[in-house]
Amino acid sequence: MHISDGIIDINVCIAAGAVSIGLVYLSGRNTSVEEIPRMGMMGAALFVASLIHFPLAGTSMHLGLFGIAGIILGKRSFPPVFAALLFQSLIFQHGGLVTLGVNSINMGAGAFAAWLIWKSAFMNENIRALLAGFLGIIIPVLLMAVEFRLSGYGRGIVYLFSVYLLAAGIESIITLGAVRFIRKVKPGLLT
Amino acid sequence: MKHSFLDKYSNLDSPVHRLDPRVKTVTALILIIIIVSETRGALFPFLFYIPVVAVLVAVSRIPWSYILKRCLIVAPFILLTALFYPISNMLASDYRPQGQYNHDYMVGLSIFLKAYSALILLILLTSSAKFHNLLLGLRKLKMPKLIGIISALMYRYVFLIHDEILKTNMARDSRTTGKLKMSRLKVFGNQSAMVFIRSFERSQTLYNSMLSRGFNGEFPSMSKLSVKGKELLLPGVLIFLMLVIRLANQNIQNYLFN
Repeated sequence: MHISDGIIDINVCIAAGAVSIGLVYLSGRNTSVEEIPRMGMMGAALFVASLIHFPLAGTSMHLGLFGIAGIILGKRSFPPVFAALLFQSLIFQHGGLVTLGVNSINMGAGAFAAWLIWKSAFMNENIRALLAGFLGIIIPVLLMAVEFRLSGYGRGIVYLFSVYLLAAGIESIITLGAVRFIRKVKPGLLT
Repeated sequence: MKHSFLDKYSNLDSPVHRLDPRVKTVTALILIIIIVSETRGALFPFLFYIPVVAVLVAVSRIPWSYILKRCLIVAPFILLTALFYPISNMLASDYRPQGQYNHDYMVGLSIFLKAYSALILLILLTSSAKFHNLLLGLRKLKMPKLIGIISALMYRYVFLIHDEILKTNMARDSRTTGKLKMSRLKVFGNQSAMVFIRSFERSQTLYNSMLSRGFNGEFPSMSKLSVKGKELLLPGVLIFLMLVIRLANQNIQNYLFN
């Protein structure tokens, strides 16, 4: 899901970079001292989450955890996602420097959408957790499809990205499990 | 967490290593922008870009085996994404003339070359400087303060969380063997929640102790960064060379197609 440098059109990258800086500013303004360790921890967790692999159809997939990130961080999702992606691009080369803005928007929007669903009061908590996990993956994939289309990729990219539906399904079940566990053990962590 | 690979070759002595992290970061960023903004489908300029990148690796004295090993982690994804270009156009039902398909393959190949060259430059950047110096350089480059604090905290928490993951992985594997089932997904959920909770509690304690020692958002560092005039020679030459290649290619293309 991390887009490397050179894949996306440079104009899309520059525009996304500018938007992501704005989003990081809006999301991070008036941050209180108490929120900072949570943001740092969540950024580190998002970075390390890529090391939890599970077997899938003969291959392995790693967790994204954008749904849980959105649920725990709420509107403060963008700065930790940005920092985590910066780390991932520098340490593992997952994603690039020029595409940092693109990746931050994609994954930050996933976490933000998860939070919006989580905050909506018209559904059962379990359904909200499932949807938050699902949107945490699907929103970045939809945005990726738009960015690829803007970069000249054909309409067929939508079919190729449909494999993420399975990943989103798995992630939603994992998010549900994590939310239920946190609700029992440390409910204060849920926004 | 085993992270020796991060700083494994950062102690070598080479003109690339001697560069200030800020100069190195900005140079890498400019070189990557020059390469990735190259016209789609243009393969000719890579006959010049790739040797320049190769010479830079040779000058840095970082072994090729190490660079290629690190490239291998991301290479399959880059290859797949480059292949997506012709495939995604093929899957679109519109009629396309044969020449257009050939062009799509050329674009796919140029995407691959761009991404791979940028990847090598990124690896060179992170391997030729100590990671904490690189972060310090980014902070000195006026990275937003909040991102600076989060990054600095992350650098500490990452190892803490990774240790938690290793411990919980062992516990999870001992409880869940065999094929992936729905019940196993619940275990993965519990594991991530457990990691979050434990790490959050430890990070809170860590942060509180930092505050009690007078932490104000700035991380004091022993490393002093300074840029000498002659240090700018190598980056300057590199950027100039890449720009010449870029502009020459543009002129050649204009000449050929007009």
